[in-house]
Amino acid sequence: MTVTSELNAPAGADKTAFAGLRRLFFQNESLRGLVLLTPTLVILSITVIVPFLLMGAMSLWTQIGFDYTDDWSFRNYGIILTEPLYTTLLLRSLGMSMAATLVTVMLAYPMAYFLAFHVQKNKLIWLIIITLPFWTSYLLRVFAWRVVLGYEGVINTGLMEIGLISEPLSFLLYSKSAVIITLAHAWAAFALLPIYVSLEKIDKSVLEASADLGEGPVMRFLRVILPLSMPGVIAGTFLMFIPTVGDYVTAALVGGPDSRMIGNLIELQFGTVDNWPMGAALAITMIISITMVGLLFMVLSRLLKRWVAA
Amino acid sequence: MKIPQMISEAKRGKLSRRAFTQSLLAVGIVPVMSQVAPRAASASSGHATVFTWGGYDVPEMYQPYIDKHGELPDFSIFGAPEDGLTRLRSGFVTDLIHPCMGDIPRWRRTGLFQPIDTSRLSSWPDVIEYLHDTPHNHEDADGGVWQVPFDWGQTSITYRTDLYELEGEESWDILWDERYAGRIGMLATGDDAWWCAAIKAGVPFEDIATDEAFEAISAVLREQRPLVRTYTDDTSSLNQALASGELVAAMTWNSSAVELVYEEVPVRFAQPKEGALTWVCGFMMHKDAPAPDRAYDVLDALISVPTGEFLTGDYGYGHSNGKVLDLFTDEELAALTLTRDPAELLEAGHRTIPQEPEWTSRMNTTYEQIKAGF
Repeated sequence: MTVTSELNAPAGADKTAFAGLRRLFFQNESLRGLVLLTPTLVILSITVIVPFLLMGAMSLWTQIGFDYTDDWSFRNYGIILTEPLYTTLLLRSLGMSMAATLVTVMLAYPMAYFLAFHVQKNKLIWLIIITLPFWTSYLLRVFAWRVVLGYEGVINTGLMEIGLISEPLSFLLYSKSAVIITLAHAWAAFALLPIYVSLEKIDKSVLEASADLGEGPVMRFLRVILPLSMPGVIAGTFLMFIPTVGDYVTAALVGGPDSRMIGNLIELQFGTVDNWPMGAALAITMIISITMVGLLFMVLSRLLKRWVAA
Repeated sequence: MKIPQMISEAKRGKLSRRAFTQSLLAVGIVPVMSQVAPRAASASSGHATVFTWGGYDVPEMYQPYIDKHGELPDFSIFGAPEDGLTRLRSGFVTDLIHPCMGDIPRWRRTGLFQPIDTSRLSSWPDVIEYLHDTPHNHEDADGGVWQVPFDWGQTSITYRTDLYELEGEESWDILWDERYAGRIGMLATGDDAWWCAAIKAGVPFEDIATDEAFEAISAVLREQRPLVRTYTDDTSSLNQALASGELVAAMTWNSSAVELVYEEVPVRFAQPKEGALTWVCGFMMHKDAPAPDRAYDVLDALISVPTGEFLTGDYGYGHSNGKVLDLFTDEELAALTLTRDPAELLEAGHRTIPQEPEWTSRMNTTYEQIKAGF
């Protein structure tokens, strides 16, 4: 008798059938994988796939007053593509989110680099300090930026105190830059951590080898460190870009009339405007455009990597 | 692991990742659980749930209910009633919800509400008849009403008397004044803004559903948009911005001006020469109200005299209980821009007229487009 069947042998007649199943489970790797994935798959299909399909179906309806028409049409998508409001807000959201992602990755990279290569002791403390803002609620961080950027905020009163300006700068709050700054800060950990992990993984002997072979610090960074940390950069970029495109809290709290994002519009369709089919169509359009931008980014980064390595 | 031990290990760089994650989990679970626990408790507490604006969830408004049941009712807060209706239509159930009079016929069509038996409200005989006696409120209500009126007032302009230089009479032009571009605040919901813009555009409310009216109102709102610093339903944001001077004028309800005056900010609640937008709001009951008996206690508390005294004195809104007005002198009422006879104030301004759901969708969609710059 094998060890496993002895350990788990059930009492009764179906002992052999059970043991057979067990053997099948342990021998067949793909079955084992499927069984292990089942809880995730069930949750995923209930909470993501089914609602997504429902949303797709709903986006093909049309809202009339309190009711939906039940004929299927691409009317909502037609409106999204032809009305300048929707395309502009979608492009603006993509643009603002890209700007925030770019700023964050550029700022996070040196921090992650410092952590990975120059901090020898107490790395955990450093990580905790850097991620400390993320222990507070997202909403609090957004409100903190309102306090910093506000009309009577930290920056304005500070500048007025030292006499650089005589009237508060009004472009700080309720503007695109306010939304981008807030997004960049609020999501920074999502870019920083993957970059740090991929930098940390780089074998230090590779760096020594490149130095031995005569590369200067700049070329070493460009030809060795950057390509090796690219997976982290790409992961960080996606982790930040995808959720920020649809973000609406930030734009609602620190944005002005000119910095409304597609997320605000989607929220309104499911709220005050009460046009759920249009909201669903907008959400799906947003998902498709994020996917397209993502694919484009992946192709570009692959080309870039090949070009740098060549 | 004990905290001092953890800190010392962390200092020496010896805290293992697993121990760290465990402590994080412990830290994380406590606040999460403390969020869930009271909510779960309140769901079974049997209290009535009131779905209303922020600021209507204060103990001063529910004293008789608190005396009887020991605690405040439960609350859920919306930004605008239309948003609340959307949530109710998607299956959210509360006992009471707080829309305005003009919404009644449209809201009733959703079939989500039940008539309210006024004989169960001890203060009902004191409720000013003018406020509830509309055909929409009484028809098919089995002798009751669909909505118990609670508050009435105006949507107008609060402006800084020291920062805004008034030329001539007070008028809706204040919110369209190009001298103050970037220092104007607007309410984000069409329920107020669209109707006020109609007054500004000179569109009679009877014609508001016509295409010409849509064009005329859209045109004035588009003209105003470059001047607007922020569109929001968050009155405390507007109040703060008015107090700091970031805004010189904003579309608000009575309470903003009253609160700012209490804080000694030099503001006035304008009485525009074209007339303000006037409104009566109140409470409707969900057809599947989980705690209807308590909901009646809430309603009775809301229309009681002490609640009214607070609502008028502290927020500057009119109250539906007729006895409340006797507690204030003519001067006090005038300072609050209220009148002794609600009809006088409400008829002097413009009152919204019930509209079709299609109109509401079109109006909201158009206003959103304008706010976004199209």
